[in-house]
Amino acid sequence: MSTLTIEGLRVEVAGKEVLRGFDLSMSSGEVHVIMGPNGSGKSTLAHALAGHPGYRVLGGSVRLDGVELLDLSATERTRHGLFLALQHPMEVPGVRPVDLLAAAGAAREGLLERMRDEARRVELRPEVLDRFVNVDLSGGERKRAEMVQLAILRPRFAVLDEVDSGLDVDALGAVARRLQEATTEWQCGVLAITHFRRLLHELTATTIHVVSEGRVVATGGAEMAEILERDGYEPFRDLAP
Amino acid sequence: MTNFAQSAQAHLETLENPDARREAWRAFSELGLPTTVDEVWRYAPLGELDLDRFAVVSRGAAPEMSPFAQELAAHAGMVVRVVDAEVVEVTGDLEGVSVERVASTWSPQYASDAFAQMNCALSPYAITLRVAETAHVTSPIVIVNTTASDTSFAQVHVTMGRSSQASVVEYLEGGVNALVVPLTRYDLADNASLRVSTYQRLDASAWHVARSTGSLGRDARLRQAVISIGAHYNRSRNDAEFLGTGAENELRTTFLGSGDQVHDFRTRQYHRVGRTRSTLLSKGAVADESRSVYTGLIEIEKGAKRTDARQTNLNLLLSPHAHADSVPNLDIRENDVMCAHASSVGPLDELQRWYLESRGVTRADAERLMIQGFFYEMLATLPPELADVVERDLAETLRGVEIVTP
Repeated sequence: MSTLTIEGLRVEVAGKEVLRGFDLSMSSGEVHVIMGPNGSGKSTLAHALAGHPGYRVLGGSVRLDGVELLDLSATERTRHGLFLALQHPMEVPGVRPVDLLAAAGAAREGLLERMRDEARRVELRPEVLDRFVNVDLSGGERKRAEMVQLAILRPRFAVLDEVDSGLDVDALGAVARRLQEATTEWQCGVLAITHFRRLLHELTATTIHVVSEGRVVATGGAEMAEILERDGYEPFRDLAP
Repeated sequence: MTNFAQSAQAHLETLENPDARREAWRAFSELGLPTTVDEVWRYAPLGELDLDRFAVVSRGAAPEMSPFAQELAAHAGMVVRVVDAEVVEVTGDLEGVSVERVASTWSPQYASDAFAQMNCALSPYAITLRVAETAHVTSPIVIVNTTASDTSFAQVHVTMGRSSQASVVEYLEGGVNALVVPLTRYDLADNASLRVSTYQRLDASAWHVARSTGSLGRDARLRQAVISIGAHYNRSRNDAEFLGTGAENELRTTFLGSGDQVHDFRTRQYHRVGRTRSTLLSKGAVADESRSVYTGLIEIEKGAKRTDARQTNLNLLLSPHAHADSVPNLDIRENDVMCAHASSVGPLDELQRWYLESRGVTRADAERLMIQGFFYEMLATLPPELADVVERDLAETLRGVEIVTP
């Protein structure tokens, strides 16, 4: 059993403090969903956790089983068990997915075969994995390719930034089912950032957090999604200090 | 220029057709070596070039092929082994392919090119690889071009008959403290298709001044890749000349500079007739204190309507002391054409690197993967059975390069 604890996280982007004391705690196998309006700091959280160079941490703490991740490089954070699936996974011309994953620490033995199996599970044509990382892939293919990486690397916690944006219903279902299976297959903790409730049709949320102006303003169970669906984010805005 | 001139003049008397050689030598002597005042030579460290370091002698004993050359040869349908510009061995037999020794020729197009004239005076003969009309040669032809003495003036002609197809890989090695001046022609008759890759891995002390010209008949297709790792000064001029409509040329040139190397790439996409297409991608990386220059000319004649010519030059700086210049030129005398050029000079992309790191790849490995990737994109022209071999060799070379990011 692993735990991920975020306390008082403050992050600046382009000179503006976007996360202003963010708190969240979760355990292995749980699915936490972060919802909130545009500009509330959701994507900033994802990028700051993964050590994106454009995001500056001003304060706070992110611990994975007691180890302070903010003291670690992007590489070490991932090797310690935190994986970020991006909203817009980048093209890396000339680098093949299999070489990326081998360099990321996946065992070479049978790697291509395992990747192909994982591709089939998210209904991604395995030939796509022969191309350079994300080059000439559609938005949906990139998201599925991120799931292949996730499944090979088996992180303790997966952070998914807007994993549902730009996906059609089939792709969304495939991605959500794969995440759900990960929670039991290796007790992966899933922290999903989303705008939309539709992700939750196939992915059962343990906890939903509503974010406004850079901090969590409300936390609840799956019923929270229905409240948001009905009333929108407006009632929660007042909760921000 | 006594040692070089005396030995060269003595040497050319031993070659076939000495009258023509003397004529070419006289033309070279009158022209003299270029200086950096010449715009086309301004980036070359010509002040360091002392021709008297080189003695022109007959070919010495053929050295062992390097393990890498042997590996290439093992995957080839035919191997032409060249030492100091002479064919020493041809192995393998491919239907429709012949290797001939043809008297060297001089073309007026070389009139202002001292090194090409030097080659015409001193190359023993044109190594002529002839692919017969309609022959479809599926196995690659490998030319292993080794420089074992002070100088090498190889002349290679690849002549593709009408509607023929072939794939040629030329590998250059050796050249310790040598002057290596190859002159190459690719002549493609109508509807012929040639894939040719040159992998230059000369010793880091060599002076390498190479020139190739492709001539394309109607509907001919030339896909050419030039990958340069070696030499102290590496000059690679690659021209394509379109003589028939429907012809297509794809040229990929790439280099890796390290130490105090200079890579000097020049290209000319010369569209004499319309409905022709040229795509040029030049990519290079410079590390340590190395320098590079890319100068590319797109030239479109009046009346060459519907020409499509593109030029892209991307340069990667792997050290704050390395330097890259990019000089695209357009000379277009027709309005009804499609023409584009783009260039960039900069370090590795920080966000791509972060993306790899965020998968758990270390910074050093991420940079290595990205630089390898920069070159892997250029290997598409190689026949598949040789691409893996070259890729492994390239990866091995890249492991030795220090990357200093800002």
